[in-house]
Amino acid sequence: MIGGPGALLVGGLLLFLLLLLGTRGIAAARGLSSKSDLPLHDDAAEIVPCPPEFALQIFSRADWEFASAIKSHKIAKLFRSERKAVALLWVRQTSAAIQRVMREHAQATRGSGDLEFTTEVKLVLRYAELMLLCGALFLAIQSAGPLWVRGVALYADSLSQHIADVQQAFSATTARREISSIGSS
Amino acid sequence: MSAAVKLVPVQAAYDDLLQRSLSKISCDLARLIYLASTRDYNTGTYHHDGLASRFRADAASKALEIAHRQVFYTLAAYSLEELVRQLEIYLDGSRERPQDVLRIWQKLEPYRIAVPVEVHPTVACLFLSNVRLAVAIWRHRRAPPPPRP
Repeated sequence: MIGGPGALLVGGLLLFLLLLLGTRGIAAARGLSSKSDLPLHDDAAEIVPCPPEFALQIFSRADWEFASAIKSHKIAKLFRSERKAVALLWVRQTSAAIQRVMREHAQATRGSGDLEFTTEVKLVLRYAELMLLCGALFLAIQSAGPLWVRGVALYADSLSQHIADVQQAFSATTARREISSIGSS
Repeated sequence: MSAAVKLVPVQAAYDDLLQRSLSKISCDLARLIYLASTRDYNTGTYHHDGLASRFRADAASKALEIAHRQVFYTLAAYSLEELVRQLEIYLDGSRERPQDVLRIWQKLEPYRIAVPVEVHPTVACLFLSNVRLAVAIWRHRRAPPPPRP
């Protein structure tokens, strides 16, 4: 049994770990321009979440099975290093894209009078969850490689798509209201 | 001019491009390289004499750009095994010796310039990484077995 001080210590440690992962997730986006293999997007404002079918491809087990069936140490090593680099870029891009979406959302809500409290809280919680996941994925991919985190990565991908969809729906509603208010005035 | 009126020549040019040129090319990898070769290195604009003579030059350019992006996304979504197969078809259709082509591909990575400009950077990175892997796999398969002691 853990006593009061022990529980506090464990709780504190967990909180510290969560904060560490969250900051790692946010910081993941910062290395984007310097470490990208192909810096096609100079402007961070343009970054959008990666299409889901390609997230499946990056974390594909079938590709690994194909590469390992060749039975060459050199090919297996090349595959691991190549996929690791792409997977880390995917984490950075996902983190950067969602930070951009949240910035846009914050700007849009500042001028809006009809916010739904529960929707906003849910969105912030999902954002925090995604940043934690990005931090955890970043560390896990660096240490163990992308194949072992496929499930978590796909969950993070669906979460990022969901946040982007919520923001898009919010922007569309706000735009419709503005247009109708202009029309009625 | 309305958007619908503008879109029609682009769609017609795109259909023409598919029927007359792209359908005659053996695989998606060859299609990607062909389409990338119609792009000016300095300006990034696409040009195709035949297409521009049948349609307006801007419609032809837009059709080439759209086709380039579509073929790129199709290839990027291929599994590694499928991409190795694409590479084999491409090399079979080439007049050069496959070993020579792939030696240059591995050294200079000329396929990097086959990537369209307006594509997702992670997808571009995945594609380039997969081509590097496919080239290494192909060369490994064709390499002579090590001499037995």
